[in-house]
Amino acid sequence: MIEVQSLYKSFGKEAILKDVSFHVQKGSIYGLLGSNGAGKTTLMRIIAGILKQKNGHVRVLEEEVFDNERIKQKVVFLPDSLYFLPQYTTRQMADYYSKMYDSWDEERYQKLKRLFQLDEKRKISQFSKGMQRQVAFWLAMSSMPDVLILDEPFDGLDAVMRQKVRNVMIQDVAEREMTVLISSHNLREVEDVCDHVGILHQGEILLERDLDDLKADVHKIQVAFQEEAFHPEASGLDILHQEKRGSVFLLIVRGNEGDISAEMKKHRPLVYDRLPLTLEEIFIYEMGGVGYAFENIIV
Amino acid sequence: MFELDVRSRKPIYEQLVEKLKQLIINDVLKEDEKLPSVRELAQQLTINPNTIQKAYRELESQGYIYSLKGKGSFVHPSGKVNNEEELKKVREELKKLFAEAIYLGVSSEEIAALLREVEGGQEND
Repeated sequence: MIEVQSLYKSFGKEAILKDVSFHVQKGSIYGLLGSNGAGKTTLMRIIAGILKQKNGHVRVLEEEVFDNERIKQKVVFLPDSLYFLPQYTTRQMADYYSKMYDSWDEERYQKLKRLFQLDEKRKISQFSKGMQRQVAFWLAMSSMPDVLILDEPFDGLDAVMRQKVRNVMIQDVAEREMTVLISSHNLREVEDVCDHVGILHQGEILLERDLDDLKADVHKIQVAFQEEAFHPEASGLDILHQEKRGSVFLLIVRGNEGDISAEMKKHRPLVYDRLPLTLEEIFIYEMGGVGYAFENIIV
Repeated sequence: MFELDVRSRKPIYEQLVEKLKQLIINDVLKEDEKLPSVRELAQQLTINPNTIQKAYRELESQGYIYSLKGKGSFVHPSGKVNNEEELKKVREELKKLFAEAIYLGVSSEEIAALLREVEGGQEND
């Protein structure tokens, strides 16, 4: 559905995206994560056909997207800084959208009006930040896109509204296999809703995987032994991170759960606990692996 | 039908598999009963339909449910299937609990009595 291949983009002399390749399947909700300044927004603007890449391919719905009106009809992009025509009300914006998007669904618009409960005759500029975001979702979801691209979508929405918006989005994914690409810094948000994630760092994709596979592959382990005979390095396990607190080891280990527990059992642990990692922890350890680490600096 | 704990570290997909298994094992979902469709469940729980699909596939491969094309997923009549993987997990859990019980001074007679109690309870069903 979205295919990005060896993408390169620079602004002036500075390369923003160096060699980005990834793939989003139809009906998938894909979370694009990344460090600050990793190039997420630039990447999304290219996928939406706003910017043109220097090298590489971006194919949305099997076609190059830049200057391609037919494809852009089916794509809605919600940037992190929203734009509405000056002095427009929501109703006027809706009329504008209905002319731009052939797939505009007026019935859906009316239904969503009950959900958002905003006055469609008020000027959008008078709305609060969160309300403006609601308007943006309202318009986007009424346009019935095949591909929805969201840059920091839940910023400024309260908890109830977030849940409502997510629910509408999920219905569209379930019912008509809409494809969604989300970038967010709120990893909990991404964790709850996405099935695939990709991590972008310094203009390159560090990893791209099924979220559940990713979680099933990394484990946080607390283990303690009677004798001091255990050495993490000698165990043959793929250890990403280790700490020792008293006689308790805290290990972040990559690998199959069965293999790890079998290896640990060999040393007859007194305590053996395995916790799945949160996406936030995975993000921190993966970024640590490429030198983007958390350091505890006392200031 | 049920709630998931989104704050849990456990992946949503695993939680789904476990919850549905519980419902099947405890006969809340009866033999040949239709499970909610992926769409319904996605909307009810506000979770990714792909995650639900995956959980259903897993339950099917473990023999708890079967699916009919175009009709949906149903509880397998022999829901209490022999499943090595599951048995292994349960045995490990039991061992852990037994160890804890013994440590706390529970005698093996008491454990045996508890076992009989559980068995008796099931026969009276």
